[in-house]
Amino acid sequence: MFNRIKDVLRSLMLVELLKGMMLTGRYLFARKITVQYPEERTPQSGRFRGLHALRLYPNGEERCIACKLCEAVCPALAITIESEQRDDGTRRTTRYDIDLTKCIFCGFCEESCPVDSIVETRVLDYHGEKRGDLLYTKPMLLEMGRKYETQIATDRTADAKFR
Amino acid sequence: MPTIEIDDKVIEVKAGSTIIEAADSMGIPIPRFCYHKKLSVAANCRMCLVQVEKMGKPLPACATPVTDGMKVFTRSQFAVKAQKSVMEFLLINHPLDCPICDQGGECELQDIAVGYGASGSRYTEEKRVVLNKNIGPLISTDMTRCIQCTRCVRFLKEVGGMMELGMVGRGEHAEITAYVDKSVDSELSGNIIDLCPVGALTSKPFRYSARTWELIRRHSIAPHDGLGSPIEMHVKGNTVMRVLPREDEAINECWISDRDRYSYEALNSADRLTTPMIKDNGVWVETDWQSALEFAATRLNDIARNNPQDIGVLVSPNSTMEEAYLAKKLAQGLGCGNVDHRLRQSDFRLDSKHIGTVWMGCNISDVQSMERVLVIGSNLRNEHPLLTHRLRKAVKAGAELSLLNPIDDDPLMPVAHKTICAPDAMVNALAQILKAMSVMPRYAGHLSPAVSNLIDKVKVQSGPQSSAQAIAESLSGSSASVDLVAPRAAVLLGNIAVHHPRYAEIYSLGEAIAELCGASFGVLSEAANSVGADFAQVLPNADAMNARTMLESPRKGYLLVNVEPELDCHNAHLAAKAMAEAECVVALTVFKSEALRDADVLLPIAPFSETSGTFMNMEGRVQTFSAAVKPLGECRPAWKVLRVLGNVLNIPGFDFDSSEQVSREIFGGEDPSQLASNRLNNHLYDSGVRDAARVNDETPNILQRIGEISLYQADALVRRAAPLQKTKYAVPLAAYMHHAQLAQLGFQAGGAVTVSQGNGSVSLMAQIDDHVPIGCIRIAAALKETAALGDMFGPLEIKAVEIKAA
Repeated sequence: MFNRIKDVLRSLMLVELLKGMMLTGRYLFARKITVQYPEERTPQSGRFRGLHALRLYPNGEERCIACKLCEAVCPALAITIESEQRDDGTRRTTRYDIDLTKCIFCGFCEESCPVDSIVETRVLDYHGEKRGDLLYTKPMLLEMGRKYETQIATDRTADAKFR
Repeated sequence: MPTIEIDDKVIEVKAGSTIIEAADSMGIPIPRFCYHKKLSVAANCRMCLVQVEKMGKPLPACATPVTDGMKVFTRSQFAVKAQKSVMEFLLINHPLDCPICDQGGECELQDIAVGYGASGSRYTEEKRVVLNKNIGPLISTDMTRCIQCTRCVRFLKEVGGMMELGMVGRGEHAEITAYVDKSVDSELSGNIIDLCPVGALTSKPFRYSARTWELIRRHSIAPHDGLGSPIEMHVKGNTVMRVLPREDEAINECWISDRDRYSYEALNSADRLTTPMIKDNGVWVETDWQSALEFAATRLNDIARNNPQDIGVLVSPNSTMEEAYLAKKLAQGLGCGNVDHRLRQSDFRLDSKHIGTVWMGCNISDVQSMERVLVIGSNLRNEHPLLTHRLRKAVKAGAELSLLNPIDDDPLMPVAHKTICAPDAMVNALAQILKAMSVMPRYAGHLSPAVSNLIDKVKVQSGPQSSAQAIAESLSGSSASVDLVAPRAAVLLGNIAVHHPRYAEIYSLGEAIAELCGASFGVLSEAANSVGADFAQVLPNADAMNARTMLESPRKGYLLVNVEPELDCHNAHLAAKAMAEAECVVALTVFKSEALRDADVLLPIAPFSETSGTFMNMEGRVQTFSAAVKPLGECRPAWKVLRVLGNVLNIPGFDFDSSEQVSREIFGGEDPSQLASNRLNNHLYDSGVRDAARVNDETPNILQRIGEISLYQADALVRRAAPLQKTKYAVPLAAYMHHAQLAQLGFQAGGAVTVSQGNGSVSLMAQIDDHVPIGCIRIAAALKETAALGDMFGPLEIKAVEIKAA
């Protein structure tokens, strides 16, 4: 009985509505923090798992040795590798494709890589305009590696003691 | 039998067996590297150390014989500590390059390191480096990875027959190496890849092309010799990446020959025919199946309507039973009886004299327990690489091996007695053996009239032929105690005997010898399905033409099933001429081939890896296999092509939907092995040939050719397997002769000579080969360079090429 009266009084005095309006009012006068993407960006962790890259050594030699561990570990079966013996006798890939429409960005490929070749960069804003644009081939991935090597290297160094 | 206890489980084992054998039979795992059940015990890796009660030190399980009441602990703290220490030592110098090692994923060291290795190494000093050796085109080496288990060394010595690898140096400096500047040339060499427990020896053609976990394993049967080794094809996508053996104690134990292992390289060669082709005014035009089949059917039908006997059907003895059977059925549907698969045979006088299907006369696994063996006309290692190993086992166990051969190539085992003579003297040599045997008192009363008649005619020759006496004594076992009830003896005919122009006499004399001494008698069949095609009656009808007469009197039309006429037939020149003169040649072929230049329509068929089928091997074992990959391009399994060709020709009884239906028709719904054991029989109806045998033919004073088929030229697949063609077995083509013969003819070694046979002649280089008897010249057959020559065995003329004065 007592509770019933309390409920009626509350709804008559619009307590809930006022509470809500108070919250709205607080945000109305608070400092705005909208990020003006893409001009502005939120800070990223060094461990961010974005678009993949194949790294190269400073002398321009690709790191990948076609061990195919990333292909084996990939839970989404997004990686396809073909390999052969290059003319200098080393083991190299002739094909290294990542199908980004399949990829779930779990980072296992990076973890499995014995030579730190395949990595996930901080790049997150990429797109494809038609079917097939998101199938990244070896030259595309190597280009990513060339372009972001400085940042990739810095991130790996910073994280080295935890790995 | 001693009773022992391993890990608290009691087992009774054979006296003299080792702890590791006992443990293996109980399924108790003991880690090992150097031990292999088929090789001698070396006990040098020490990985199999176990604890034995009352022994102060751990003992190697592979080298410790069991004793009654022995108590063994394989998982005790003491044993595991010993095993872990050994593992640590082995890993000290082993590189950590698993990611680039082809053995990664199928590596025994990797696997055992997971169980017994530490997570990190305590070794901080420099690891040793061993330089790689180039040991040939088949095996690539990474000697730094070697853990000196010496399995490869023992294999080549004990199974291969020649010690081509060995260990030099001690301790830190120990390394496996071949002879200086020599490669490993054994025809079984590929097995050391499987044996190597680490990645020190890996396959060169397969190098870096796939990982073991990506490969799907599909079972198949090796199609290159009569053994029919069970193999496993490793497939990635729709490509056969490599071939490994499957284990069958009765056939291949656990080995396969290099021919079976590397022939897959031809499966995707550029030579593959992938679309049907028709020759239009001398130009090859690609077409579709419909028009190609209709073209073939119309042309065949036109010829058959006039006279069915104008068609000749040649079937490769490497075709499956289904393919061969359908080819025969097709020919019969056309009313033509000219069908044959014995392409390299030249003497057909025994046709219609055979009681059953000719086979090897005993089981493959019986060969190793033979005590006395006579092999007639066989370059053993060339023809039957793996069966030779069984013979080698027999010889090692004390068997006496006698050889009657036209070439003296080393079979890599001790030969007790041998007669090396010119091909046309072989019949006489056999008759000498029979005669020598007949005068032995033991056999005196057992001679059939035909044999005694024949023997009376034999003139005994002295001199080099006297080895006949020795062979006869060896075969009848007069020198040793012999089991007269079940003598373990065999007389075996090889390919040279089958190709011999007087095969009928060799066969009947061989049979007589075997009968007299109670030995088993048989033919080591040349191709994967020689016995099977015989069994399926893919032979000419009673009054029809055989493989030779079909070419001698050219037919108007030919149907070739997987045949390259001038390479697969006995007389290359005749074959090429017959094809050129024919109105229509329909060729079902796997490869585009220069040998098929005179064909009119090429129908692309699938090789053994892309079709299902059945092979019957030399011991009559029926083995069915299915396709490992899908047919390349427009290729179709040959049985399907023949089936549809039968439909287009409106021949009844061609409504098969699967190869199983065809094989069911071949075996009439009965159990194949039962049927085979009823039908396999090497006896002859009568001894007509024996009566007429011209045993005393004087060796005519003319030069003869010994046209052998070299190991890697035997069939269309191996001819195109690039790695095999790079081996030492791809001997440079030349006219090989004895040095005395060379001097007698007045040639220089290395000089150019012209060899002519019949109408054809070729220019070759004269070379010395003292394994060839005087009066003979060894010129390889089944090569396009010698396709102008005629019979594989027969007279030839040779003269030096005159150098014209400038």
